[in-house]
Amino acid sequence: MVDTIATSTWAVETCGLTKRYPLAWKRKVLVALDHLDLQIRPGEVFGLLGPNGSGKSTTLKMLLGLVIPNEGEARIFGLPPDSLDARRRVGFLPENPYFYSFLNGDETLRFYGKLCGVAGAALEKRVEDLIDLVGLQNGRERPLRSYSKGMLQRIGLAQALIHDPDLLFLDEPTAGVDPLGSAQIRDLILRLKKMGKTVVFSSHLLEQVQEVADRVAIFSLGKKVLEGSLDSLLAESRETQVQIPGELDSPRQEQVLRLLGEAGIDPAGVRFSRPRLSLEQLYLRTIQTQPGPSARDSQPRP
Amino acid sequence: MIASLYRIIVIGRNTLTEAVRQKVLSVLLIFALVLVASSVLVSQLATPGLDAAGLIDEQIKFVKDFGCGAIGLFGFAIALLSTAQLIPQELHNRTIYTILAKPVRRSEFLLGKFLGVVLLVALAVALMSTAFGLSLYWEEVKGVAYADSVYGGMAPHFPQVVDKVRQYEAEAAQVQAHGGDSAAQTQEMRALDEKYRLQETNWEGCKNVVEDYDRDVGRIQGQIRDPQLIEAVLLIFAKLIMTTGIALLISTFATSSIFTIVTTFMIYLIGHLESVARDVWFQRGAEVSIWQSGLLGFLSLLIPDMNSFTIVDEILAGNHVPWSHALNLLGYANVYLVVLLALSIVIFDYREI
Repeated sequence: MVDTIATSTWAVETCGLTKRYPLAWKRKVLVALDHLDLQIRPGEVFGLLGPNGSGKSTTLKMLLGLVIPNEGEARIFGLPPDSLDARRRVGFLPENPYFYSFLNGDETLRFYGKLCGVAGAALEKRVEDLIDLVGLQNGRERPLRSYSKGMLQRIGLAQALIHDPDLLFLDEPTAGVDPLGSAQIRDLILRLKKMGKTVVFSSHLLEQVQEVADRVAIFSLGKKVLEGSLDSLLAESRETQVQIPGELDSPRQEQVLRLLGEAGIDPAGVRFSRPRLSLEQLYLRTIQTQPGPSARDSQPRP
Repeated sequence: MIASLYRIIVIGRNTLTEAVRQKVLSVLLIFALVLVASSVLVSQLATPGLDAAGLIDEQIKFVKDFGCGAIGLFGFAIALLSTAQLIPQELHNRTIYTILAKPVRRSEFLLGKFLGVVLLVALAVALMSTAFGLSLYWEEVKGVAYADSVYGGMAPHFPQVVDKVRQYEAEAAQVQAHGGDSAAQTQEMRALDEKYRLQETNWEGCKNVVEDYDRDVGRIQGQIRDPQLIEAVLLIFAKLIMTTGIALLISTFATSSIFTIVTTFMIYLIGHLESVARDVWFQRGAEVSIWQSGLLGFLSLLIPDMNSFTIVDEILAGNHVPWSHALNLLGYANVYLVVLLALSIVIFDYREI
């Protein structure tokens, strides 16, 4: 018995979505996704987390109508995912895309724009805007075969946005991209969020997900095992952290402990530590102080 | 409907651009050069002492056979290889996901891809036919020059004799066309005789040589400027597009391009052999079992009769093949293609990617 979705104000809604692949030679069935119920609000940035093979990409493909579910139902803004009306509101960046290596940046965007019915001056304007948005001015005339991984991901994002969709599905948008490129993509997602877009993305880089996602779902072996807002999932409700500027020497630490003891707090549970930079923050801080961070991208490859 | 057609054209044009930029056509260019050079090679093989007319006919036949054979062969390779890798390459580059995530129907994607290959094959056939035409033109120039040299040896001042005979005949025809009274006409003819006929000691002999020359040159030009060659190229193109259709159908469920290539090739071979088997079995009359006729019926429904396109050989042999027959074959190819495309769309609609 499959539940059906009657009406929807959600950007994405799934109900009992299931995908099974029969493995004939092993006489087994692989359950790629098992009864997924998911609701994503318009304007939300939603992260899909999980190890390889946990069902993230299958979920995205079913939400795009590329894979047909065995059970359950999905709706995009209340529409069936494989309808043209739903696809007009959706943009997609697949995992590790290569695109058409014989086209240059502008030609790639024009091709996808024409497929979406954008043409003439409107298309040219859109191409200009998107090239600016993703920062690919140096890749406009170059064939995609000479693009770096980061540039490919950015042109991928631009093609996903060519018809100004309301909802974006990004499958591992930062996979294989160096930390700087990865940070640029993260910033782009944040800009898209400010523009009111709904973004659903999968990633292995947990720190990045933490920085951009409003809510996440964690998948394991085809099942959604956890879902919620980052604030509610990550807050350690039994502890409180106080951050102060400057260093706290031993006499001052003892003074603080005494004050806390007077307030009825057990000093045994109090820890003093200095906040650390993450390695990514250190890397970005170092690289970004160097001249021309994207200079490498503009050099033609042999 | 128009939007749908527009998307098909956009995908088709992109597929053609891909093929052109990935240097598929450079192979064709090499072929074209080989084809043009082949007629030069044949001329070098010509041995003096042979019957001139026979030698020229043989050379023209060779260029025609070789040209059409090469168009068919290279066209087959281009059609098969480019169709077989259409879908696998899209999957490998993940471009199929980006296209089908856009407001594009699967049928539009598939028809667009097919259109791209059809345009590529058309371009390839057009280029090869141009090279073929050039090599035929070269044969004509060579053949006429050869006739000039042969007849020049038979009559002294041959070019002048030809001019004289032609001028005489042209002017005589004008006199006869004017009409008027017979006395004046006879007088005018006599003047013409004095001007041309009586200048040559063996006027009748000269006239015969010129007639023979005209007949030989006419035969050469007739073989080369044969409008049936257009018919032949069209039929070759139709056969190539049918091959493309078969390869497209197989690639909609194949998991690799090698599978598509091998299976299409097998179907192509069976398509050539089924009519042979039909002829052999039905010649035996009563010996044909219900199983045999059932199998043949099933095969002819499933696999197109490629052998019917060997009518091209008849055209190349100089036999007359009426346009109605060629149009029938083109119609058969069209109907078969529509069925192939419809099946491809249905299968591709259910394919998970």
